Amino acid sequence: MEDLARRVAAYLAHRMPQASNIEVSRVSRIHGGASRETFRLHASWEEGGAKVERPLILRRDPVASLIETERDLEYNAYRAFHPTGLPVPEPLYLETDLSWLDRPFFVMEQIEGCQAGSAFNAEPYGEFAEKIGQQFWTHLGHIAAADPHGIGFAENMEPVAPDECWKRELEKWEKVIDEDELEPQPVARAAIRWLKRNPPSPAEKISVVHGDYRTGNFLFDAEGNIRAILDWEMCHLGDPLEDVAWAADPLWAHERPERPGGMIARDEAIRLWEEASGLKADPVRLRWWEIFNSLKGLAIWISAGKEYQTGANRDPVLAFSSWYCTDVHNRVLARRLAELSEEGRA
Amino acid sequence: MKPDVGTVMQGFFGTLLGDVAPHLNAEYSMGNVGIMGMMMFMTAEEYDRAADIRAAENAEMRSLFSHAAALVTDDALKKKLAAAASEKEGSLRVTALNARNAALAALLIELQTHVEASDASWASALEARIWDHLVAATERRKLPLPSFG
Repeated sequence: MEDLARRVAAYLAHRMPQASNIEVSRVSRIHGGASRETFRLHASWEEGGAKVERPLILRRDPVASLIETERDLEYNAYRAFHPTGLPVPEPLYLETDLSWLDRPFFVMEQIEGCQAGSAFNAEPYGEFAEKIGQQFWTHLGHIAAADPHGIGFAENMEPVAPDECWKRELEKWEKVIDEDELEPQPVARAAIRWLKRNPPSPAEKISVVHGDYRTGNFLFDAEGNIRAILDWEMCHLGDPLEDVAWAADPLWAHERPERPGGMIARDEAIRLWEEASGLKADPVRLRWWEIFNSLKGLAIWISAGKEYQTGANRDPVLAFSSWYCTDVHNRVLARRLAELSEEGRA
Repeated sequence: MKPDVGTVMQGFFGTLLGDVAPHLNAEYSMGNVGIMGMMMFMTAEEYDRAADIRAAENAEMRSLFSHAAALVTDDALKKKLAAAASEKEGSLRVTALNARNAALAALLIELQTHVEASDASWASALEARIWDHLVAATERRKLPLPSFG
């Protein structure tokens, strides 16, 4: 960590020529960032005769990751949403020059005095479940309501037509399974066939899709206020119902779909989202995105298993994801698809 | 072999979380120890049941293929189904069971795809039987997650 502190200090000196006596201390790696190496650190420097102290977060690309994404996607999402009032950390520097820290990285504000709920805890928010749930679904509605062009999000994003969102996302994650499966996946393959046979209606609008909006990916403070929505590395333009379905996936709620993410009742969650977004959660289209998201989850966990099995990345969280999350999503999808198959035959 | 593997794994899980993790200073290391402990807890269950659930799954698929071979009219698929149905389970090592399970699962995908596209009178019932198998198989493989209160 000492070497990393020294190198980050050199980088900050490069980015802040007006600063002097830059020191970086208290560097510690945060657990769970399987798609990025995430470090908490403390920077101090002198500027204009005053001492400045700033806690920061460093997100560096790993050698191999759970999710293969470009770090500028995530950085640009923070840059687009930070001025809107949505609780996200302030992004500071994005760096692709490998000479600084060997791999691309970005630096952002550290939100202190907060915690993230665990998706693997049956009651991740305890007494704050109601309060946090209301904010969680309202913030997601605000993300859906945002104008991707107006906030500068769409600038470097691949555009997509309302009737093409589903196809692009399905093709993307089917390709991941094609490339990364180490054994045949009957449930995933059945899901892909069902999704292709039953395409959804076009998106009501093209919105910013966070891509991983769920329990565990936001910070809340001791009063139960959501202070930072994190982990935007899978963000894209698409159907906002994609995020609703992912947030409501049974994996994040100990398989209790009636209380998504261990927060508030599903009906109330959807109502709050509709109110904040000004959109309708069409139940048939939402069902398509729910099945899609359980498949997307399977693709991510299958990919994580390959990374671990081949030795590309031996982070234990990859092995855990591949065992436990694959198991949950296979069960969720099998039950759901069996019901739909029966309905189709009736 | 005593103590039982399950007992040892569960014991190690308790030691890692109760004795090792609290003495670690690095947040990242503590997180890794927690994950490894949870996987030991899961391994305790998986060690005991692994051969049993794979053998049961393989037997179910062979039975399903035997039934399907009498129904499907596609000659190539019919032959593959009949051949797979007549295979006997060999070694009970988990790696051997996994290899046969993978071959059978690949054939199951082919059969299910064929059945979904078929309008034959038997297709609907066979599709339902395939789903009964997949629901039961995924349920059998359910991994335990320790409760942290």
